[in-house]
Amino acid sequence: MLSYFSNPQRFDGLARRAIPVLGVLTVLLLAAGVWLSFFGSPPDYQQGETVRIMYVHVPAAYMAMALYAALAGASFVFFVWRHALADAAAEVIAPIGAVFTVLALVTGSLWGKPMWGTWWEWDARMTSVLVLLLVYLGYMALRAALEDAQQAARAGAVLAMAGVINLVIVKFSVEWWSSLHQPASVIRFDGPTIHASQLWPLAVMALGYTMLAAWLVFYRLRSRALIQRARQTERRKLQAARQAQSTEGGLT
Amino acid sequence: MSGLASVFAREARLAWSGGGGPAGPAAFFLAAITLAPLAIGPAPEVLAAAGPGLMGFAALLSVLQSAERLYGDDFADGTLDLYALTPMGLPLLCLAKTLGQGLATLWPLPAIALAGGLMYGVPVQASLMLAAALLAAIPALVLLAGFAGALAAGVRRSGLLIALIAAPLMVPVLIFAAGAGRSGFEGDERALANLGLTAALSLGAIALTPFGIAAAVRSRLG
Repeated sequence: MLSYFSNPQRFDGLARRAIPVLGVLTVLLLAAGVWLSFFGSPPDYQQGETVRIMYVHVPAAYMAMALYAALAGASFVFFVWRHALADAAAEVIAPIGAVFTVLALVTGSLWGKPMWGTWWEWDARMTSVLVLLLVYLGYMALRAALEDAQQAARAGAVLAMAGVINLVIVKFSVEWWSSLHQPASVIRFDGPTIHASQLWPLAVMALGYTMLAAWLVFYRLRSRALIQRARQTERRKLQAARQAQSTEGGLT
Repeated sequence: MSGLASVFAREARLAWSGGGGPAGPAAFFLAAITLAPLAIGPAPEVLAAAGPGLMGFAALLSVLQSAERLYGDDFADGTLDLYALTPMGLPLLCLAKTLGQGLATLWPLPAIALAGGLMYGVPVQASLMLAAALLAAIPALVLLAGFAGALAAGVRRSGLLIALIAAPLMVPVLIFAAGAGRSGFEGDERALANLGLTAALSLGAIALTPFGIAAAVRSRLG
């Protein structure tokens, strides 16, 4: 299937149809999700109204990780089969994933203040998400620094795949690190296993976020392809003009 | 095998004599641990508590500081192209090259950390533990720096880029190496476990990163 869509024209056809569909789905799902999380779900018996932050926070954290998985998967496909489309996907996914990571960190911090009494807690999960953000930034910086597109693509793929192994090790090491030195004074929130009334808005929001990410990815893939095509046309025009000039010069 | 040994020796000799050799990272490390108390304040109990962690962090920075040289020069003058052509296999060669260069330049760090620990008021045993942990961490740190250095080789001002790429990779090493010194200070028997985990990370890095470095070198040679 991947080789089928490595033809840019076919992919463009798919993207042109997918973008409006994904856009409409995103708007509908997010609207439904926001309504559900504000009016369609009860306040939590422990957290009160602040529990509603969960409906924007948890899907963002999930997207941050899912998009890194997608980035690494695309990098793997590019590294092994050299599909240009996979590399394009990796390139456009990275900033989107980084934004979702920032969103997860910020909403988590806003949720942490009323619940734990602190904006930031160096606990295992938050720390590893922060490291995930650094990995995203490193990937983007490397791609931006390498001028040769082929080299940028391949070096980026190597780094993205190494990041997967690293993130797993970071997760375990940070867990051991914080469990060794976790102050016992921090009130841990051991909430109830999630109730159906909270699961619904969460699921709808998660689906809405997923559609949003897919929409953005397709949108950026298509605009990337268009930019490349425009550059090519420009180059061809320049070449033709130069040729015409040189033949003209030869005649006179 | 003798080929690898000669690569190791070449890199070690070059690193030893060129660009300040071991003096560069050592001086950087010393400057970092000298400045830190000036920023934190001279309270002995604070310094002793922060010492092991600060020392681990400063060691990581001095590895990063010298990381640009690991692959940058050989990328610029074409040595890497020749290395990629040898029948020895690029991963092994990268292992020999990185370790040779790293060990030749970074060996003073544990000794300075031992002295620094005593200056910070960390007990002798904990300082020894910290020095041992740094010694165990150096192979992992230098190999990870080599991976980042190979990816960013030849980029203008690659030092910043290398630091950004390598920092998240080094998180686990920092946690366990500094953790060994810290739990040694707190009289915790977990110090040995942390030391063991640091050594395990180094062994894992020796086993895995050469393939990553080789892939990075190949990706940059085009």
